[in-house]
Amino acid sequence: MNIDSPLLSGSALVKTYGSSTALAGVDISIGGGESVAIMGASGSGKTTLLHALAGITAPDSGRVEFQSPSGPVDVTRLNERERSRLRREAFGFVFQQGLLIPELTAIENTALPLMLAGYPRREAEGRAQHWLAALGLAGMEARRIGELSGGQAQRVAIARAQVTGATVVFADEPTGALDSTTSDEVLTALLESTVGQGHALLIVTHDETVAARCSRVIRLRDGRVLPEVVAA
Amino acid sequence: MTATTFPRPPASVRSRPDRAPVARLTWLLARPSAQSAAVLLLPGIAFAVTTALVLIVLGGGLMFWRWTPEDNTDAMVYQTLSVLALVLLLVPLASLGGAAARLSARRRDDRLATLRLLGATPAVVTQMTVLESTAIAVLGSLAGIVLYLISMPFVGLIPFAGAAIGAGELWVGPGVLALVVVAVAALAAISAAIGLRQVTVSPLGVRTRQTAPRMHWMRIVIGSVAILGAYVLLGSMSEVADAALTIAVLGTGIGIGIGVLNLIGPWALGIAAKLSLGRAKTAAGLIAARGILESPKAAWRQVSGVAMTSFIAVVAGTGIAFVDTLTGDYDEDTMLLLADVRTGIIITVVASFLMVACSVGVNQAASILDRRDLYVSLDRLGMPREVIESSRSRTIMGPLRFVAFGSALIGAALVLPLVGITFIVAPASLLIIAGCLLGGVLLVWLSLKATSPVLTRVLSQPERL
Repeated sequence: MNIDSPLLSGSALVKTYGSSTALAGVDISIGGGESVAIMGASGSGKTTLLHALAGITAPDSGRVEFQSPSGPVDVTRLNERERSRLRREAFGFVFQQGLLIPELTAIENTALPLMLAGYPRREAEGRAQHWLAALGLAGMEARRIGELSGGQAQRVAIARAQVTGATVVFADEPTGALDSTTSDEVLTALLESTVGQGHALLIVTHDETVAARCSRVIRLRDGRVLPEVVAA
Repeated sequence: MTATTFPRPPASVRSRPDRAPVARLTWLLARPSAQSAAVLLLPGIAFAVTTALVLIVLGGGLMFWRWTPEDNTDAMVYQTLSVLALVLLLVPLASLGGAAARLSARRRDDRLATLRLLGATPAVVTQMTVLESTAIAVLGSLAGIVLYLISMPFVGLIPFAGAAIGAGELWVGPGVLALVVVAVAALAAISAAIGLRQVTVSPLGVRTRQTAPRMHWMRIVIGSVAILGAYVLLGSMSEVADAALTIAVLGTGIGIGIGVLNLIGPWALGIAAKLSLGRAKTAAGLIAARGILESPKAAWRQVSGVAMTSFIAVVAGTGIAFVDTLTGDYDEDTMLLLADVRTGIIITVVASFLMVACSVGVNQAASILDRRDLYVSLDRLGMPREVIESSRSRTIMGPLRFVAFGSALIGAALVLPLVGITFIVAPASLLIIAGCLLGGVLLVWLSLKATSPVLTRVLSQPERL
């Protein structure tokens, strides 16, 4: 864990939707090799915070800084196209339902971010194959998403999030649609493939058992951070 | 603390599926919300366009049937050809109407699943879907009648038998108007019922049934034999001097061609997509090829209307142009007839492309709304907007180009000797046909582009997910 020079940090983040305040001055920082769970009731601002840190949504005020290999990047000052590129090249995402392209096979879904980054298809699929094998999906490369179980599909999503070597992975309820056993297996795969590689993992979750396996838990209420608890 | 008093449950909650208030439930769930406005509007627009086009085409057809031999010595030929054009336009019309109906059935997925969760039987869900689709179809048809009335003066400018036909000639009368509304409503009801067979409405959601059956190679064998037969038949056309017999031979050849196209079309489209998949180097190419392979039949259905008309445009257009060159000594009436047949062919091609363009527009807008969460997730992953647009475009334009120009080539192969002669003696006729095909492809592309704002809207409001 390296909090002194965080990999990603947000300071004084404010975001409102109409008359409702989703973030009311949030400060947060995440170091390499760290996993942070963001918890809170529905509407507390969890997902908005994840979106602001990932450059999906621009906060109304405040600053998000990402420590890229080439130097610090002020995410909040990037335009839409530049933020899109940052997400594509430096960040990884795992959503609750996987949100994989149903007509593509497991290997094609995994290789997609690399192809978008300009890798030749053969090389992209080669790297994707290694990731799928590392996540226990060897032999399932040619299966379409509908032919995989929920847990297997989430592993494909994890492989897709990591195939570009993203140093920060954002996960929004990644185990929300899974049974407890599969949830445990998927979380293990997610932690090993991110934190285990020295990368940072930010998880939005309602599940205390998921939060308990993260390095830190940040609780939000009405868009504000409650006093932090060190979980592990 | 005061104890909360909850209402007592009814004495009996026995299921009475035969007594489910289907009409009231449907009305309750049909009330528009911010999300469902587009759900109701899209199929409504499609039904309106379908109705307007049906009425215009019928109006034109009925105009010829009002002619007597005294009005025009070739009245019977015009009437026969108008029936042929109507039959040809039935395919894209049914396709557009079917798309609208399927759309209204599929767009209610979440509500149908909720109803199943609450205990509604599959029969109730089916009845509700059919009822709602039919109601939307009736409303859309009524809007279509207005559209028909507005477009009559413009369509009336088209010349036939040496003069503009006039708006009044296209009036079909109140009986036909009512009949068309009933027919469109029936089409919606049948398509909705069939459309529901392709999805499983379970309490946990609505899923499309797994992959369509594979295309059998026997299709190509049967198709080849039929094409050979048509080739021999059409090859004998140049020896036929009688105009009526020429039309009969053409009609039979066209019938065989349409059958063969529908037989091998989806199979050929699947093969072409497989080849594209192997060659795909970009993400957009990969997604597009996989999208077509997901259901070649669905991809074919969307553009098959163009297949028929492209085929006809080349076969009949070349035939007419050829006859035209041989008959310098024909009388004025025959020359007028040939010119009108050419006009009819162009109208049929333009109308079919118009229907396909509407169908593509409606289907694509619905597809964006259906796949809203996927598109938003791809945007979040950092997939550039151009890649999303490109994959959408390739999924439609690839099959369209393949179908339009493939059918035109098959048609040209069937009447190859005539094409050669016509190309030398009457190149303008072939250029007009080629121009119509290119214009049609452009029209469909424009219709696809017109759905981009829907994607922009979806991507600009990702927080709604």
